[in-house]
Amino acid sequence: SLHASDTLYSELSREVENGRLARLLMKLGTINERPEHDGDPNWSEIGERYVLKLFRDYVFHQVNAEGRPVMDMGHMISCLNKLDAGSQEKIMLTSRDEQNVFVVTYNEVKKQVNAAWADLQKPSRR
Amino acid sequence: RAQIDYMDGDWEEVGRLLLPPPGQNAIPTPVSSMTFDSTQELLWVGNEFGRVSGFYGTELTRYTSFKAGEGPVRQILFHEKGVISLCSRSVHMAMRRGPPLWHINHDEMKDLRCMSYTSKGTSEILVAGLQDYMFTVDVDKGAITKQIPTNDHYTIMKRSRYICAATKTGSVNILDSITFNLVKTWNAHASLINDMDAQHDFIVTCGYSLRQQQSYMLDPLVNVFDLKNMSSMSPIPFPAGAAYVRMHPRMSTTSIVVSQLGQMHIVDLMNVNTSNVRQANVLTYLSMVEIAPSGEAIVLADAECNIHLWGSPSRIRFAELSNPVEFADPEETQSQMDWNVDTPLNGIGMPYYREQLLSAWPSHMVFEVGAPPPKVDPQMMSSLKVTEWGGYGRNTRGLKRNQVENTRTAEKTSASLQAPKFLSEKARESANDTSSERRIS
Repeated sequence: SLHASDTLYSELSREVENGRLARLLMKLGTINERPEHDGDPNWSEIGERYVLKLFRDYVFHQVNAEGRPVMDMGHMISCLNKLDAGSQEKIMLTSRDEQNVFVVTYNEVKKQVNAAWADLQKPSRR
Repeated sequence: RAQIDYMDGDWEEVGRLLLPPPGQNAIPTPVSSMTFDSTQELLWVGNEFGRVSGFYGTELTRYTSFKAGEGPVRQILFHEKGVISLCSRSVHMAMRRGPPLWHINHDEMKDLRCMSYTSKGTSEILVAGLQDYMFTVDVDKGAITKQIPTNDHYTIMKRSRYICAATKTGSVNILDSITFNLVKTWNAHASLINDMDAQHDFIVTCGYSLRQQQSYMLDPLVNVFDLKNMSSMSPIPFPAGAAYVRMHPRMSTTSIVVSQLGQMHIVDLMNVNTSNVRQANVLTYLSMVEIAPSGEAIVLADAECNIHLWGSPSRIRFAELSNPVEFADPEETQSQMDWNVDTPLNGIGMPYYREQLLSAWPSHMVFEVGAPPPKVDPQMMSSLKVTEWGGYGRNTRGLKRNQVENTRTAEKTSASLQAPKFLSEKARESANDTSSERRIS
């Protein structure tokens, strides 16, 4: 029975991270690309939230040299973990037309996610 | 003497850059403004489409790039926290790394052309243009603090002991940098001012006069104004036609004068008859000239969208005291993982952290699960066009796209078959009728 509980614990430790990642993904999913943001200067190229679009592309839309999609789960989880923790590591974000190039910390992206999330929770938007 | 050594011998073109085009398949467009950073080894260039890009070091490798507004970028100023860029109808401040700090629009910002710091160090700027109002902006707050009516329209502003503002009629207004009141007007050129610089005690200008047959000609001289004595000085002769002029940032009486075709003269204002001459290798007209805060580099922009960087290959640097430029951290290479169904996601660890995780879900956000699915209107279903992958048609439900429906209440009232209840259960139900609503709040 001690052995059984050890097994349970090790199984638990393997899966306990999943909920954290799922909640993070749900937050990102709810704030990104809402139609309410159309025409909102905050989400335009000159706005503060613009880095969130670029971050989404950085994490999920990686491509290789031939332009083929790369679905590297290691990259995605590692990025999400650093975002979750608000790491001071700097990454380079580039727009699809390569006209905008930003160097931002995960911590700055995290602040924008929090702000965008808080916007959604405001009782009377618009 | 310093001005004799300066640009002696080994000055040459050390780098050349074609300003990147405004789109992946677009042709390059000319530089609309460019300025050396005051504290990092960066050259910042604005294009015709409101985009500002930084270029690093003498190699001019591309650093960050961001949108500052619409139309040409008119001027760029530096602050400890970032870059302030002026477009016709807006003022934008961004971090050097790119993300915006603030963006200001105003109905009376119609054709902004120039800006300058005021008496308040780098915490306030004055913006002006070919329009009837000037504005002061609090740089830290990113907000307009004052709207100032002006009779004169301005194209260039430089700050020394006063704010020197070039008008579009060839004169320079000398403004008090606290009150912005007009201290003196200096009639520098007959028709218009093409370029101006101001440093310590001097204003220097290049400009045009209207000659016979109504054609504008660059004046064959640089006009000089002494701010200490508030009077004009003898002009610097420049037979080739003086198009651009900069004061050397560290040698207070040395100026660099450039013709439209790239002839450069280094002249001492106190001894205008001796000069050191260089020729930039340009094939077309120059559109702009700028000097680095260190005085050890000059950039020339030409009409073919090239930027020529000049300096001594051994000494060239941009800023007087340079802070390191912040690049992206190198991405650590991850060991390849086998992502089969059994691979736990915690195989990739969390970095060290001490703040609340972003994944934290607010405790007040509680939702009920397990409600029955919404009913689909059979009439709507019958109106759908059916294809291989499903049906499609207009949204005729009278509800918003993705609108949440409370299927629970609908289900309750219409339920015809219910398990019989004990009397005690019925009594409890009527007492707790609103229990579900209470739980949601």
